[in-house]
Amino acid sequence: MERTLTGPSMRSAIWAKIGQNLVASIVIGGSVAAGIALAVLAGPAQLINSIVTGGMWALMSVGLALVFGVMNIPHFAHGESFMVGAYVAYFVFTPLHKYLKTNPNAFLSTMAPFIAILAATLVGFVLGVIIEKLIFYPLRRRTRAQWVMNTFLITVGISFIMTNGATLVLGPNFRGIPRYWDVDPIKFLGVRIAFDRIVAFAIAIVTIAAFWFFLHSTQTGRAIRAVAQDEDGAQMVGIDLNFIHSLTFGLATAMAALAGASLLFMFQAYPTVGLKPLYFAWYVVMLVGLGNIGGAIIGGFIVALLQTATQQFIGIAWEDVIPTIVMILVLLLAPSGIFGSEVKGVHEQ
Amino acid sequence: MGIQTNEGQGRKDFSGIWGSFVSALDKIGFSPLGLALLILVAVAPWIPPFNQEHIVRWLIGGAFLAAQAIAFDFTAGYINVVNFGFAAIVGLGAYTSAILANTSPFLIVRIGLPPWIGIFVGALVSGLLGLLLGMLTLRLRGIYAAVMAWFVGIALLGLARNLTPLTRGPLGLHPPTLLSTTSNRPYFYIIFTMMVVTYIVLRMVTKSHIGLAFKALGQNFDAARASGINPTKYRVLNFALSCLFAGWLGGFYAHYYGSLTPKTIMHTSKTVEVLAIAYIGGRGSLWGGVVTAFPFVFFIEYLRSELTELPGLHLVIYGVLMILIMIFYPDGLAGLYRWAVRKLRRDRPS
Repeated sequence: MERTLTGPSMRSAIWAKIGQNLVASIVIGGSVAAGIALAVLAGPAQLINSIVTGGMWALMSVGLALVFGVMNIPHFAHGESFMVGAYVAYFVFTPLHKYLKTNPNAFLSTMAPFIAILAATLVGFVLGVIIEKLIFYPLRRRTRAQWVMNTFLITVGISFIMTNGATLVLGPNFRGIPRYWDVDPIKFLGVRIAFDRIVAFAIAIVTIAAFWFFLHSTQTGRAIRAVAQDEDGAQMVGIDLNFIHSLTFGLATAMAALAGASLLFMFQAYPTVGLKPLYFAWYVVMLVGLGNIGGAIIGGFIVALLQTATQQFIGIAWEDVIPTIVMILVLLLAPSGIFGSEVKGVHEQ
Repeated sequence: MGIQTNEGQGRKDFSGIWGSFVSALDKIGFSPLGLALLILVAVAPWIPPFNQEHIVRWLIGGAFLAAQAIAFDFTAGYINVVNFGFAAIVGLGAYTSAILANTSPFLIVRIGLPPWIGIFVGALVSGLLGLLLGMLTLRLRGIYAAVMAWFVGIALLGLARNLTPLTRGPLGLHPPTLLSTTSNRPYFYIIFTMMVVTYIVLRMVTKSHIGLAFKALGQNFDAARASGINPTKYRVLNFALSCLFAGWLGGFYAHYYGSLTPKTIMHTSKTVEVLAIAYIGGRGSLWGGVVTAFPFVFFIEYLRSELTELPGLHLVIYGVLMILIMIFYPDGLAGLYRWAVRKLRRDRPS
């Protein structure tokens, strides 16, 4: 053991670990500082807002990290799942809302948004399973050569079809709602927060917690993690890979759709609404390490804080430039993200 | 365009006048069939029905897309790095040239550089960014490099949109055109020449020992590195060269269409168009994208003029074709051609 510790490869591995920890500390420290600066200089409203959006980026990123970790697919159509969720929620909620205007019903008014969000989640799940069965299953049967790059390009194609298909069928119009619940904003720390935001945050937290529980404490969840760690080993102990892959993809799509539906009051539904959430989700998973689900949860909040701070203190022109530079620096020092990535396929060409 | 003859087909008979002609062609990366097709495209603007102005515009669009596909495939098909910010690099070249050519007093840069020089400055700027970006991100592997290029593309788009004193933001620039004529034909020959130059230069590179290193890195990264190829050096070289040509082509775009907005040139969907063309054509062939681009542009422009109430249909078709190719025929058109050549050779007793 001591002998290997002095070897050059071990030494460089230690340096890499130190570099990674250093970068992790800087990024986390930076985002905490950004949070404090926001609270002091721009008022707590900005801070609270970015925490709420952070919850949703976390939800998006967890789905992305899951798909990459289990299936090794760098999912570029994740934003389109968000878009589908937003559309479904809109088309379910609007008629319900209209109906409730003529027939007031207090209970149904409270429940209508949940019905819409639930419908969006279910549609997302089904859509994910269909995509997996229709596209990735045949590809997996054909060849696994160059899998990461090929599936990346295929998801680019899916994203292209879905955004343009949405334009084709639904037109480029914006479809949004002012809010889900007709409730006055709630005062918290002297800040008025819209009720919708609070619910969206609660949904994100509850979903992530439930998902964490599912992954760690149920038979199926453990099977998913087993596949992420070692596909052959998982198959040997009798795990049905096809089932796990479909389930994983369905769950990830459902989570993105859930995010899209919960944020309908912020992001109106239109064909390319998914681009920004996709960008942030990718940003998060690259920052924390591809496929690292636990890291993705924290990363969602870090990125939301840094994003708001950049907008607030540096200006809108550099809004996309600064994060890109930060990302390049992070990846130079910690090539597998600040929390590391232990996914088998990351270093495949 | 040039159908390469140097790939895995050892038997070459270069005797007689025809033979020496073929061998001379082969040196610059053409086969007789490719040259014939190329000449056909070159004379097309004089042959009815292709001599109508709007169809010449389609031909220009085709050549522009084809040239971009060559530059894109040079990276994607050889070192296996998908430059997902390709459109933004094209846009950087276009914007550089357009900003330098500006004479309007409303913008802060008023140099009024002639577009003929500006195009090359734009190419240089794009190439330099490619070099810098490559040095920073190509140490990372596959997917990281692709996503980083995407981030950089988004950053460039954001800059073009928000640095209004320089670019007028979403309103866009109106750079001067290259020529004072209203005819499209001269422009066609400009972009046609640019396309051929792009092809010949990049083909010469891929045929040299550098190209061999590219291929080795693309096919098996670790094996190539183990046999002494410095991966970062060659990948950066390749990436910068591809970006250089991308910026050059962008300059043509700016000074042909005479209008430049961030979204029409730098958006990720533009990258996807080029990517789809290059992959349908066949990666690692360079010419595959050219053969695909012309029929595609005609088909799509036709769809667009016939079905005006269906916006975005052509993009859906791009996407569907791309997925089908990726799953069922990853070699694309070039692969089909190679297969046909092999088949013909085997069937013909020699």
